[in-house]
Amino acid sequence: MPSQETLESKKPLQVLEKIKENLERLNEKMEVMIELQKHERKEFQTLPSEAPLDVMTLLSMPDHLRKTAMTVCRLGRATAEEIAQQTRRARAVESAYLNQLVIMGYLKKERKGRKAYFYVEKES
Amino acid sequence: MGKIVAVHSYKGGTGKTLLSTNLAVTLAKKGKKVCLLDLDFRAPSLATLLNIEKTQHWLNDYLNGICEIDKVLIDLSDRIASKEKFFVCPANPSVEAIRDMSSKDRKWEMRALGRILSLRNSLLNDKGFDYIVFDTSPGLQYSSINAIVAADIVIVATTFDSSDVEGTRRMLRELYDLFEKKTEIVLNKVLYVDSVRAGKDKLQAMVKNIYEVPLLGVIPCFCEISRAEGKIIFVHEKPDHPFTKILDEIANKIDKL
Repeated sequence: MPSQETLESKKPLQVLEKIKENLERLNEKMEVMIELQKHERKEFQTLPSEAPLDVMTLLSMPDHLRKTAMTVCRLGRATAEEIAQQTRRARAVESAYLNQLVIMGYLKKERKGRKAYFYVEKES
Repeated sequence: MGKIVAVHSYKGGTGKTLLSTNLAVTLAKKGKKVCLLDLDFRAPSLATLLNIEKTQHWLNDYLNGICEIDKVLIDLSDRIASKEKFFVCPANPSVEAIRDMSSKDRKWEMRALGRILSLRNSLLNDKGFDYIVFDTSPGLQYSSINAIVAADIVIVATTFDSSDVEGTRRMLRELYDLFEKKTEIVLNKVLYVDSVRAGKDKLQAMVKNIYEVPLLGVIPCFCEISRAEGKIIFVHEKPDHPFTKILDEIANKIDKL
């Protein structure tokens, strides 16, 4: 029977996709933790949960984060992959920086299916 | 694809407005579709310089999110005897408007940056402009840094005044470099005899040595410019003046960048 066949073949695929998705999220979290350790949490302690990403803030950022933040400003809304294409750095690196900027309160992150979009919150 | 050029300087009175206006007009006269924006909200000049008394909306309104940019655009092509080439977005010169623009918070400045960045799409892509030229406030002001972030090329007007030289040097290292901007220097108000005596190569080497960026042009001190009292579009009114020839060279270089 064809219907049962598709159902059976679909199930493991769905499970695998779910596992992959969770692994990706886990990976992102680990990247953030590594980044946080690298910078000894210095930059994060006094920051509020939401901070405006204005030009003076951009100026005061460390170089590696400024490049990522400026690219998000220019593109408006983008995935780590799209940012990486612009900055010519590795996707995993950009993903770490983007998540760091989210923790710092400068960017927002929204998941749509398996993709994560980063953007600057403009509404007050 | 068009380009965004920001004209900036460390100190006031270095010739930003003179340079940006005449550069915009020179490019327009070469057949480029150009839009000149007054981002000097603390001391707006374009409205006075170009005799714009009334307008439906000012550039302030666009940044405040009250209107879209097409409501601010004024076609002044007839002033330079061309058609659909020279457009201007003036800033509101009233004291009330200056006060309002000086008291914006960081959140507003962040949104303003977003609106300035989106001009690339609305003016260059949708309306087919070849150039956007920003006239800015001197020094490290929000509106100027917003303009620099949005620009492809930053032209820094500077003089031989020692505090200007030092400030410009610092800005190059601590502002333009950080945003990875293509920056070029225009030496203004150079004594004519000095510029002739030194020669182009020597000045080029000197600028490279002091600022570590290329020299885009040298403008000698012309009495005729002071005498014009900022009331005319110099390159249009005086086509044979040496200043007009220098601006023509600068425009050609920018077109090739």
